[in-house]
Amino acid sequence: MGPAPAGKQLRGATGGPEVMEPALEDEGKGKEGKKASSRKRTLAEPPAKGLLQPVKLSRAELYKEPTNEELNRLRETEILFHSSLLRLQVEELLKEVRLSEKKKDRIDAFLQEVNQRVMRVPSVPETELTDQAWLPAGVRVPLHQVPYAVKGCFRFLPPAQVVIVGSYLLGTCIRPDVNVDVALTMPREILQDKDGLNQRYFRKRALYLAHLAHHLAQDPLFGSVRFSYTNGCHLKPSLLLRPRGKDERLVTVRLHPCPPPDFFRPCRLLPTKNNVRSAWYRGQSPAGDGSPEPPTPHYNTWVLQDTALESHLQLLSTMLGSAQGLKDGVALLKVWLRQRELDKGQGGLTGFLVSMLVVFLVSTRKIHTTMSGYQVLRSVLQFLATTDLTVNGISLCLSSDPSLPALADFHQAFSVVFLDSSGRLNLCADVTASTYHQVQHEARLSMMLLDSKADDGFQLLLMTPKPMIRAFDHVLHLRPLSRLQAACHRLKLWPELQDNGGDYVSAALGPLITLLEQGLGTRLHLLAHSRPPVPEWDISQDPPKHKDSGTLTLGLLLRPEGLTSILELGPEADQPEAAEFRQFWGSRSELRRFQDGAIREAVVWDAASMSQKRLIPHQVVTHLLALHADIPETCVHYVGGPLDALIQGLKETSSTGEEALAVAVRCYDDLSRLLWGLEGLPLTVSAVQGAHPVLRYTEVFPPTPVQPASSFYEPLRERSSLLPRPDKPCPAYVEPMPVVCHLEGSGQWPQDAEAVRRVRAAFQLRLAELLTQQHGLQCRATATHTDVLKDGFVFRIRVAYHREPQILREVQSPEGLNSLRDTPASLCLERDTRQLPLLTSVLHGLQQQHPAFSGVARLAKRWVRAQLLGEGFTDESLDLVAAALFLHPEPFTPPSSPQVGFLRFLFLVSTFDWKNNPLIVNLNNELTAEEQVEIRSAFLAARAQLPVMVIVTPQDRKNSVWTQDGPSAQILQQLVVLAAEALPVLEKQLMDPWGPGDIRLGPRENVAL
Amino acid sequence: MVARRRKRAARDSEDRIPSPPGYAAIPIKFSEKQQASHYLYVRAHSVREGTRSTWPQKRTLFVLNVPPYCTEECLSRLLSSCGPVQSVQLQENPDPAESPKEPGSKFFHPQPVPGFQVAYVVFQKPHGVSAALALKGPLLVSTESHPVKSGIHKWIRDYADSLPDPEALRVEVDTFMEAYDQKITEEEAKAKEEEGVPDEEGWVKVTRRGRRPVLPRTEAASLRVLERERQKRARKELLNFYAWQHRESKMEHLAQLRKKFEEDKQRIELLRAQRKFRPY
Repeated sequence: MGPAPAGKQLRGATGGPEVMEPALEDEGKGKEGKKASSRKRTLAEPPAKGLLQPVKLSRAELYKEPTNEELNRLRETEILFHSSLLRLQVEELLKEVRLSEKKKDRIDAFLQEVNQRVMRVPSVPETELTDQAWLPAGVRVPLHQVPYAVKGCFRFLPPAQVVIVGSYLLGTCIRPDVNVDVALTMPREILQDKDGLNQRYFRKRALYLAHLAHHLAQDPLFGSVRFSYTNGCHLKPSLLLRPRGKDERLVTVRLHPCPPPDFFRPCRLLPTKNNVRSAWYRGQSPAGDGSPEPPTPHYNTWVLQDTALESHLQLLSTMLGSAQGLKDGVALLKVWLRQRELDKGQGGLTGFLVSMLVVFLVSTRKIHTTMSGYQVLRSVLQFLATTDLTVNGISLCLSSDPSLPALADFHQAFSVVFLDSSGRLNLCADVTASTYHQVQHEARLSMMLLDSKADDGFQLLLMTPKPMIRAFDHVLHLRPLSRLQAACHRLKLWPELQDNGGDYVSAALGPLITLLEQGLGTRLHLLAHSRPPVPEWDISQDPPKHKDSGTLTLGLLLRPEGLTSILELGPEADQPEAAEFRQFWGSRSELRRFQDGAIREAVVWDAASMSQKRLIPHQVVTHLLALHADIPETCVHYVGGPLDALIQGLKETSSTGEEALAVAVRCYDDLSRLLWGLEGLPLTVSAVQGAHPVLRYTEVFPPTPVQPASSFYEPLRERSSLLPRPDKPCPAYVEPMPVVCHLEGSGQWPQDAEAVRRVRAAFQLRLAELLTQQHGLQCRATATHTDVLKDGFVFRIRVAYHREPQILREVQSPEGLNSLRDTPASLCLERDTRQLPLLTSVLHGLQQQHPAFSGVARLAKRWVRAQLLGEGFTDESLDLVAAALFLHPEPFTPPSSPQVGFLRFLFLVSTFDWKNNPLIVNLNNELTAEEQVEIRSAFLAARAQLPVMVIVTPQDRKNSVWTQDGPSAQILQQLVVLAAEALPVLEKQLMDPWGPGDIRLGPRENVAL
Repeated sequence: MVARRRKRAARDSEDRIPSPPGYAAIPIKFSEKQQASHYLYVRAHSVREGTRSTWPQKRTLFVLNVPPYCTEECLSRLLSSCGPVQSVQLQENPDPAESPKEPGSKFFHPQPVPGFQVAYVVFQKPHGVSAALALKGPLLVSTESHPVKSGIHKWIRDYADSLPDPEALRVEVDTFMEAYDQKITEEEAKAKEEEGVPDEEGWVKVTRRGRRPVLPRTEAASLRVLERERQKRARKELLNFYAWQHRESKMEHLAQLRKKFEEDKQRIELLRAQRKFRPY
């Protein structure tokens, strides 16, 4: 690495969050001339339009001698960051989330006040723990005291020590939620021997806080004094203090009481030990059969956590204290987690955990202290993506003391293992395996994004929120949560309840997730659960019940290839696993005989159409939950297909039209085969291509085959046609589907536009004749196309000659030089006969890869048209926007259900900066990264000539053919505004189906949405 | 100015139907049943001295705002009350010269859907024009004796008319292609004759059909030649060979970086203005 460059040292010297400014100033001095001139430039041209201009620098500026500082900075950018843009972006972001010095001063002053006030709280004489009459009226104990009876005495004494712990001191604290954690060491006199047993310590801790809360609440300094839980652990309340007045939102000080150092014997708190006696907890007499007490690993960890607060702070400050890069990295990681909602709630990956992870990586030399924040972020993500802590735990402990428990012991007790430096405390005790897998999944996606060198990687990685409803294909809500209590009993989770102190939500979560994961099997890519939010309540109220923590939401990321099967194949009937299978699936399991002669256990789900197959997980989930966890169907709200109704045809109820589209496409395939095999054409057919939304599966309402009833028509003999009768109802409109039929090239084609049209007309006539003769199809030829009626669909075949656009384009200059100039006619012909068929076939291919594409594109079009904006947008432009969701899903995965795809469509449309960016849709992955950069710079240079909405594909790199004639800037703006309004409304409804604004989504309702 | 116009408009509404200055208005209705009416604006056809106009002066009536449901035959019938009509021509735009345009093939140049049109009506006698200018109306397009189809009946008729006759199309294509082939053969024969024969100044025209074919005179071909030349030159050049070249390429690299940096700064500025750096 070598010595840190100049700018770096300077930063290290100043320290603190404001260092960015001096560093930039310093660099600015080196480039005084440039800075001045750039200021001049910005004055000269109005930059207020919000439009990027191509940069113009004079020769003298570009080629002047570089200064030392400039070279240093350039080199640093090259080594520590990806590109200068990324560096600038990261610096901007850090500036935004950091606390300013001014605010820090205010917070410091507030903390001092808090310290003094806490020390002045009067003491209380000793009483029995169960005798809580001394507590004043306005305050309730912030703990569920179940069972109430417990031995021991309590008295209040001011804390022996008040210490600030956590991110505030380290400088890794980020906005908007600024929390300062303060540890209050309870004096030794309060505690007694064996307080670790039977929640006695936690009871005292809660009483300590209650008394403290009562006194602090009377102080005018505080705007609000409320209780909450430390990390969501409901045995460990904490006290939240906020300043009064305009600083109310500035900071939240959290008070955590903790035991005096060395009070608890660590060996009593190992994960294999029991500290909650069954006799006490369940009120039973000690079991006579001598069965050992179940271990209480989580309980032990919570006690241990309180003892280790200070040592963790010391470790963090020695490791991170002097390295600004590491602190930046931790801040970036916190932002990353926050955007993915992974840091919230009980069992989330908190900022503290990632800081410890950084410390671990530093101690294993995976991260060096001179690394930049970006590099730290990258290394941690790489580590997370490749290391499965649910199998191979890690430890910060270096000593090889034989008395320490083995990692295997921890693995038995916890799902995720990350030991601290003492070797006894699992930092990830509350993190579920599912949460960790979600983190891994996110890290893997992010690494892929970083490696792809995408231009907007920073935006996607750190600036794009990933709420659950938008990230997962299907979402399912469980409510009321009280049903989980019954589930716990059904699943025989009594030891877990004992360990979790009666928190049945946490106790049931793990087993339920495992159950569903097993049941969904190959259909599932990832199953994630929402973490119960950490409640906050007034000190005069009882702590909220477990069942009040809202809704448990599960997110399902589906595997599209697994969705097509309606069969769950079990073992052969005579195998021992068969009984297990039967037990797992219950009544749904049946013996079936298969074509290969095997007789197996199997489960068959009823689903006829694609949309029903997509909802098989719903059947699986409800069946398994009812069977194994006693959760009835009414408590499970599965959000997977509420939007399907919008793309169902008038008479359909069970299908969303994929099947009907497939029928039309199959008919088209037959026709193209007939055309290929046609005999007697002067030139052979070289290609047949469809050019209609139906043929790429994106027509909102698929066509229905029409067989004209003869009584409604009057035959017109000489033209072999039918005329509708005026006295009968109006006949149905049949939209012809254009098909382009390319003929082989030949020297015989004339080289004159008018003559080519005549020859094409002759081919149209011949085509109609031959199709009628050889295949008995109803045809009608005109000069430009031949209409063919096949199986009730009408196809409009256009013969195309590949050189015709070129002939139309030829212009002869006065000097007799032939040159090619685009004319409206040539562009139109080119679009209809070359670009449209190409697009149709590429999108047809996309549908084969991603079965949800059809649904997403059709929902999107349906919505746009319901907003009465359909005129402004061509079919193709909206199809391409939908395709972009599948080809560039970052930071998500390609959608597997129309619902999530549609939400992302709304998100993309409402947030994309159409003014300054082309939407690059890299069909078939044909564009390389360099070409994309080129396209972007060409776009900036020609912005004024391009349409307001620019969509670039590999086939159309410059012109944005499909948005040439619209939308106008106003219509696009209207769409953006509407999408931005519709998205939160729809998301809220999908996330909270019981909410007050319960709007049923009907086909007509969509207009209002 | 505005006031004057308003005054004039007010006066107009009093005594007669408003019309463009110089024009007389004749109300025209589709049939008896309609309450409101369209207006034909008529004027004697006259052109400035020296302008070529094939319409006979004095005898020609120029009509504006002819509704789409009113055909030439119909207009002729309606105006025949003023005097015998010699001819009626409907056009999309006014054109002083009578254009006996060859009507394009109906297969290859389909007629656009008509909107409101203008008409030149030629009377046999000049007094027809003055009679027409004094016409009070309202004229009726569809009467019992001459009904005009509307609604579903019209659509059915339009549809029947739109059904193409493949035989007629075939005949037209064949005649066109015959003529075209003939034209091409003649041109080729002429070119063959001129081949290698010097003109009066002694220049010989070189064509593609000569014994030694030459490059076609197209832009693409000349660009291709230039490109090939450029590549040839590039191959000969030595890169990073001399010290100055080395120095320059380094400088060039630095300049690129600087340019990129400026661009990035501009972009950041924009993003900051859009508040794109707030992760919450």
